[in-house]
This record gives sequence, structure tokens and C-alpha cells, in this order.
Amino acid sequence: MNFTYRRKRIAGTFVVLPANERLFVEEMKNFNFPEARSLKLKEVMGYNKRRMVQPDVCVSDLAVFGMKQLFDRGLLKPEEVDALIVVTQTPDHLMPPTSNIIQGRLGLKQDTFCLDLNQACAGFVIGLMQAFMLLEQESVRKVVLVNADVLSRKASPKDRNIYPLIGDAASITVIERDVDDSVIHASLKMDGARHQALMIPAGGMRHPCTPETAVLEDVGDHNLRAKDHLYMDGSAIFNFVQVEIPPLIEGLLAHAGASLDSVDYVLCHQPNRFMLQKLADKMKVPYAKMPNNVVENFGNNSGATIPTSIALNLGGRVKENRCRVVLAGFGGGLTWSAMLMDLGKLAFCELIDYP
Amino acid sequence: MNEFLTKIAGILEVEQIKETDDLKAFPQWDSLAVLSVIAMLDSSYGLNLHAADLEPVHSAGDLWKLVQSRTAA
Repeated sequence: MNFTYRRKRIAGTFVVLPANERLFVEEMKNFNFPEARSLKLKEVMGYNKRRMVQPDVCVSDLAVFGMKQLFDRGLLKPEEVDALIVVTQTPDHLMPPTSNIIQGRLGLKQDTFCLDLNQACAGFVIGLMQAFMLLEQESVRKVVLVNADVLSRKASPKDRNIYPLIGDAASITVIERDVDDSVIHASLKMDGARHQALMIPAGGMRHPCTPETAVLEDVGDHNLRAKDHLYMDGSAIFNFVQVEIPPLIEGLLAHAGASLDSVDYVLCHQPNRFMLQKLADKMKVPYAKMPNNVVENFGNNSGATIPTSIALNLGGRVKENRCRVVLAGFGGGLTWSAMLMDLGKLAFCELIDYP
Repeated sequence: MNEFLTKIAGILEVEQIKETDDLKAFPQWDSLAVLSVIAMLDSSYGLNLHAADLEPVHSAGDLWKLVQSRTAA
């Protein structure tokens, strides 16, 4: 389905990355796999370095750290936060919402609309859509969108399918009204019939965590994983992306009456380099126009990958100029989302380390 | 067929593959190889196969027959 928004803009974005950096060549020793095959995986998927939280760090820790930096550097005033949207699959607790926890820790005003959204890899676009809707209200002038996950804590170190690609991060994006008469188009699709392709089977009410759900099981292909761990059907997700994303972006551009040539960058979620190169080939987009280098630098950090890609690849440019971009997210749900917008000039756009 | 076998050989990093060769007997045949085959069939033949479609396939010739049956459909 298609959406249109007017007079909204991204003011700036910060991406908080744990300082703890892990190297694939060190970690591959943990996999029950020939070294040559692991090195092949590294080469094809683009695995190299990734950022991972210490085992006790939660989403609210990363978000509070980043928002304090915004306040301390005078880029945002605490009293300006009219809404705080937290998009996460790894909340601090099942209850209450992590957005409320962050509000409390930062001492934000009671007139703050706190909202958690259970979305991951498609969650940056979905969070922006929610922010734009809130900005239709007279009382909402600035929205803070946090996309954060600590999924490394839910990945089995013995699962070569998932462990080497996961990164942790929190992006903090400020959204506001645009004085220019800007138009933003979005397109969104969901398919819950395929929800099992990406899931954490245990830990909710359907299958609460027990000693049994923590037991590592041989899941084939020399990988070990427990029910408490994140599961991804890699080949199904690959097919999903190749089949669904090109028509989603074509549909978005048709809806907007725009062409791919008029777009400066296609900024996709970053599952791995292989999948993004195949997607670019299929859409006939040059690799330079569709960056694929987040995984090799930081890992796939879930809903924060698009802001990470913006700060890594366009940081300087979007602070000085305006770019026309397509954003595209895809992941758990299954959910796939795309947005056509002008990006810039951003007041802030950078990567910062969480000590 | 020859072009197809050359592509499969490239994925398995061997000099050549014969029609009768059992793909699953190669130590290089793992989840990455399966994904690479799926990606190759998509880009070269416009086919979107799932990993499950490859489960009953053993020889390179079986895979070629599968490709032909799907592209004809």
C-alpha cells in the first residue's frame, strides 16, 4: 500500500555503535567448519568487522547515551521531544515499553508520546511513517525515532548462518516539519504467512524460556542453535528480497511519478554484501548508487542499518547538500518498506562510539 | 548445458563438472554453495528456486533438468 506525506523532514541522525569490535577471522574458529569455507563465506558475504555490545548492555543504554550527546551538544533540547518512538525486537523488558524507560531515565516531560514498535530490518521506514503521522498533530513539533537492537545477545555463537553477520547499534533520528512544501512517498507490504522465516521461537508467551529452550541443538550444516536464539531461513530471505524488493521500489516510483535515474542513492537495509549486490544487479543499479558496506564495517545492525549507511557513506554530503534518496527496508514479519524523499541538509549525521 | 556446468563448477571451485557428478559429494557443497546456486539460477535463468527445491537434486544433470522444467513452465 502507498502513502504520501507533506512538509516533513529528517533534521539529523546519530548512530551509536558499541566500541567492542569483533573480527570474523577470530570468530570463525568457533564454527565447526573448515577454515577455507569460512574464508569463502567472508569473501562472498563481506564479513570482516562488526560491533557487539557487552552481554549486559540493553537498548535503553545505547539510546540514553546517544540522546544525552544530542542534548549536551545543543542539537536538541530535552523539552523539545514531543514523541519518542523506539523500534526494537530486543526490548529491555517484555513490559513496560522501552520508550517509557528511556523517557524516565532522561527525565523527559510527561507530554511525550512514548511508543514502542516491534519491527526490525524494515523498521527505519516504518518508524519514519509513524513520526510523520504524529507530526500532523499541532502539539507535536519534534519526534525522536530510535531504531535499536542488541540481537547479538540472541544469536548462537555456534550458528554460522547468523552469528557472524549480526551487529548491535542504536540510531537516533530527529524528525520535524519542513518549511518547504516537500512531498515524501512511501510504500509498504507485509506477509505474516511467512513469519517463521525470521524469528526467535522462545521467550514470548507461546514458548516461554525454560532450561530446555536454552539447549543447543544440531540444526544441520554443522550449526548449533537453541530455541532462545534468533533463527533465519537464509535462502528463503534471499528469495524474498530478490522477488519482492524490485517491484516494491518500482511501485513506489510509479506512485510518485519518479524514475530511478532521478534518485541519487538507493539506501537499503544491509543484510550482507552478497544479497545487496544481487539486488543491485537485478535492478540494474550501479553498486556506487546502492551502498553495501555496512556489514563489513559494523555488522547488520537491524533497523539502524539505513542511518548507519547514511552516516558512513553520505555523512559529509547530506550535511552540505540535499540528496534525493530511496530508502528500502526488509525483514522480520515479513515486512518490506520503501520511501522516496529528499535528505538534507542535516544538522548532524555521524557515527559515535558507546564506550 | 556446457555453460551451465561451467557455472556450477565455478561455484564449487573445481576445474569441471560432469553431468553425472553428485553435487552433494563435494565438500564445498554447503549452505553458501546452495545460496550461490540459487542466485546464479536467478541471474542467469530468471528462476527463483528455494533451498527445498534442491533437496531431491543430486547430480548436475538432475539440476539441469529441474532448470529446464521450470524455465519451460
